[in-house]
Amino acid sequence: MKQVPKSLEDKLFRYLDGALTTDELRLFNEDLRQNEVLKERLSQLRDIDRSMGSLRLEEPSRNFTTLVMSKLDQYPLSAPGFSIRNSILLLAGILVAVGIASALVAAGVFDNVTPTLDLSGIALPTRYFQKSLPSIPFNGKIVMDIIIFLNLGLAWIVLDRAILRPLFQRRMQEGH
Amino acid sequence: MAIESEDFIIDKVLAGSQSAYAELVDKYKSYAFTIANKILQSRPDAEEVAQDAFIKAYHHLATFNRDSKFSTWLYRIVFNTAISHKRKNKRKFENIETTVIAYDQEGDVMLEKFDKHKYVNLALTKLNEADRTALTLFYLKEFSLEEIAEITGMQANTTKVRIHRARAKLADELQTILKHEALTL
Repeated sequence: MKQVPKSLEDKLFRYLDGALTTDELRLFNEDLRQNEVLKERLSQLRDIDRSMGSLRLEEPSRNFTTLVMSKLDQYPLSAPGFSIRNSILLLAGILVAVGIASALVAAGVFDNVTPTLDLSGIALPTRYFQKSLPSIPFNGKIVMDIIIFLNLGLAWIVLDRAILRPLFQRRMQEGH
Repeated sequence: MAIESEDFIIDKVLAGSQSAYAELVDKYKSYAFTIANKILQSRPDAEEVAQDAFIKAYHHLATFNRDSKFSTWLYRIVFNTAISHKRKNKRKFENIETTVIAYDQEGDVMLEKFDKHKYVNLALTKLNEADRTALTLFYLKEFSLEEIAEITGMQANTTKVRIHRARAKLADELQTILKHEALTL
């Protein structure tokens, strides 16, 4: 079916809403007589208006107000932050990363990695600092061990705060 | 309930009278539930969301600055709560929408006897949440365009155009559904 131009469609809505002036209404009625597509579109929009016009308010359950009033003190409604599902995914991600890092450390990948943090290259005002800064050597294996340890700590916090506590709180609420 | 008395109730609630809030819940529960149900298309979810919205409104009542009506402020909370509930349960709602369509396709009644209202409701689910809510509020004829804009987060100066477009889109969706139904008969 052919489409009604936008400008005419706007007029259609104003016609349906009774917002056309007398002159606009006369011209629009002429358009309607001559334009079958416009007439068809008007009929479609009238159908919509009729159906939507009979829209009624929907009623919630009878004890709605009582339920709201009984839950007023249970706020916040859910634990803030991550949902339990997302927390489990985060925990799984951390554990996978820890697993991979541990496997690499165990395979000796970082045994020969000994980068040096060279601070001597930093230009300091010689007026205050007479000596240049030292170079600090790192052991890759120790750095990785520290990262793994920190990740395990983070995993424990996620497990405790975002998974176990909300889970037990929910069970306690359901039990009451 | 006059506006003064509504302000009086709000003052009572803010002063610590929890039971006074029941009057506001009773007055606005139908609209709150209708808005939530139009967005979620599920009565149990709409009930839960409308209740949550009332509880949120109660706990944030002190932030209601009374520039707008209490109802507009409350329905905005209902709208936002329903949208975030739907986002959190996206997969479930996608399944519901698919189920609705699949069920309708099994209908064996003649096209002439179709309950158009049912198909308008189905067409309504094809619109986005803001348009669906705006249309619902528009046809309930209780809200000004400014209030509809405030509830749905639309720009106030474009609300009328957006409602016109939503009506046109609804008509197009209805035609598509009816054509599809006619072909499957």
